[in-house]
Amino acid sequence: MLKLENVTKYYGDFLAVDNLSFEVKEGEIFGLLGVNGAGKTTTFRMIINLLDPTSGNITLDGKPIDYSVTDKIGFLTEERSLLTKLTVKEQCLFYGTLKGMDEEQILDKMKYYLDKFGVSDYENKKIKELSKGNQQKIQFITAILNEPKLLILDEPFSGLDPFNVELFKQEIVEMSKKGSIIIFSSHRMEHVELFCKKIVILLKGKNVLSGNIKDIKEKYRKKNIFIKGDVSKDELQDIEGVSEIVEHSDELEVKIKDDTIVPSVFKKIKNKNITKFVVEEPSLNEIFISKVGESYEK
Amino acid sequence: MKSKLGFLTGVSLKRKIKSKWFVIANVLIAIVIVALINIDSIISFFGGDFNEKTNIYLVDNANSYELFKSEIEQNEAVIGNNESSYNIILSNETIDDLKEKLKTDEDRNSIILSIKPSEENTIDVTMITREYMDLIDSQVITNSINNTKVALAIKNSSISADELNNIYKTVDIDRQWLEEGKNSTDENMSIIMTTVFPIVILPFFLLTLFLVQMIGAEVNDEKTTRGMEIIISNVSPKTHFFSKVIAGNLFVLIQGILLVIYALIAFFIRDKIGSSSITGGIGSEISNVIGNLIGSEVTSKLVYIIPITLVLMLLTFISYSLLAGILASMTTNIEDFQQLQTPIMVISLVGYYLAMMSGMFEGSIFIKILSFVPLISAILSPCLLMLGQIGIIEVIVSILLTIILNFLLIKYGLRIYKVGILNYSSKGLWKKMFKAMKS
Repeated sequence: MLKLENVTKYYGDFLAVDNLSFEVKEGEIFGLLGVNGAGKTTTFRMIINLLDPTSGNITLDGKPIDYSVTDKIGFLTEERSLLTKLTVKEQCLFYGTLKGMDEEQILDKMKYYLDKFGVSDYENKKIKELSKGNQQKIQFITAILNEPKLLILDEPFSGLDPFNVELFKQEIVEMSKKGSIIIFSSHRMEHVELFCKKIVILLKGKNVLSGNIKDIKEKYRKKNIFIKGDVSKDELQDIEGVSEIVEHSDELEVKIKDDTIVPSVFKKIKNKNITKFVVEEPSLNEIFISKVGESYEK
Repeated sequence: MKSKLGFLTGVSLKRKIKSKWFVIANVLIAIVIVALINIDSIISFFGGDFNEKTNIYLVDNANSYELFKSEIEQNEAVIGNNESSYNIILSNETIDDLKEKLKTDEDRNSIILSIKPSEENTIDVTMITREYMDLIDSQVITNSINNTKVALAIKNSSISADELNNIYKTVDIDRQWLEEGKNSTDENMSIIMTTVFPIVILPFFLLTLFLVQMIGAEVNDEKTTRGMEIIISNVSPKTHFFSKVIAGNLFVLIQGILLVIYALIAFFIRDKIGSSSITGGIGSEISNVIGNLIGSEVTSKLVYIIPITLVLMLLTFISYSLLAGILASMTTNIEDFQQLQTPIMVISLVGYYLAMMSGMFEGSIFIKILSFVPLISAILSPCLLMLGQIGIIEVIVSILLTIILNFLLIKYGLRIYKVGILNYSSKGLWKKMFKAMKS
């Protein structure tokens, strides 16, 4: 289990991470969310021992993370961290050996993953000759080559097309099933929603929202009603408790303060020609924007 | 499982040695060394009139032919020509006829000398050439004419043959030194070493350049590609730093050995093809210097000068590699790295120029003090030792000072390195580094 307890990090007088605590168990996929500069990368760097926390503890299976356990960790950085003059094979051998693997193991795993991600033709190509998407695949492969117990993925889907995003997702889910602890950050909330059971939303280094996504959504009182039919925006906007109405191509999205507003909206349209009336929980993206917005205002 | 330090060192070394630029650079260096040492043979191979003797057509009206010929030979001996470069032809032709000869390609470099007796000047001389003449030819002929004039004057003064011989006899100078252990061979060696040592030390300067470039470029490359984050998440900054220093120094050793091999190949080729008659090539100069060295007491000094110089050089290479690694860790882009090389090279150049000047400013306290300064002491200190300006104790002090510098660079530099390699902002850089040093 990965455990962060009251972790704080100062850069000089600047508070980058403020008293952050969370834990991630084996097989869990955990989302660390936040706007740019929220403290996500600093948190990742502290977890993998690149930075020392100013205070607090970080442990993996109850032991502090140091160079004796880094062989069990896989890390994919937000920006490309490949040595562009090396070939794919050299790159895998380089990072694999640093993870304590022997050459035979590395080459076996490399061939398996290159084949799986459809890039086996590039084994002897230099990294700089590859497209951004393929570089990201190689970066991902080098991060999981050692089948890490703890896998940290900082924006893993950047530069990938939907097909490859799906490939990555499958692999991440497979690794979690094998018992890996996976933490990842992404600006794409739909990805986080699909993967993660638990999240932390950071703002200026501070935890502004955390817990199970299901619980978070349940606690979040605002709902959305999707209405399709013979009804206009003007007819609904005066109802008390309706905060916003968004017009989509063939339907309206009515944002309401809480469940109690639903009957008022239904009453207003029940005599009209309606083909869809669905009450949905808000998306994580909405909750994220709402929470981050609230905290900014505070 | 491989040692990560050994692995990183091996990767750095292979990355440098297996690169095509290393191969290209070494092929060029080998060609240049072989060419320089055999430059005389190369010049001769492409042809020219270097070996042809210059004709001097002497129109002699002052009975000076024999004296002039003798003077020419003596003057050539002074400048080290064992074989005469001139054909002195006593001519009966008129000046106008000889001028016509000079217009032909065969005689385009020939010289016409007309010597006439003169009551006022003993002799009057006219010298005619087709074009500007060579400076050495001009000096040799001018000196010979002046000496011929003196000889003619003495001869005309009815001095006996014995008296004339005594006048021309070389003066034996009884050279003495107040300090013990001094001798004329070593005194001449000092003059030779002043000019030769900077040439011998040139490879050290080149290797320093290679070392700084290698370490700086690698650290900068790993940092700017962000590969550093993955590396440092697996090995400590200390391991990474030392892998670069060890790889850099191993590379320098390999390159140094290669330079020696190229020089040996060049001398082997020189030996096989045989040197040409031109004695101005670097190869022959080196041969002369080695010959002079073997004949002097410097040879016995070399027994301890060479090992102590190598120790000092090795320690200085370590200093430069530590410095290059620390500075490179602070860079945020390739332009920064290119700029940081300049101050390091300037330090090295200061040592190089001071070594060249040490013979001119013999006994300079300023140069002696600078010979203790680490980074430049590896060049300056052995040079002063060879010249007898400092003793072995002073060199040992220089070695100790370099060890202290290396210790400080490791102790404080490593702190800077740890912070620097993960710092991507140039904002407040020096503040961050000083803070890291104090931490």
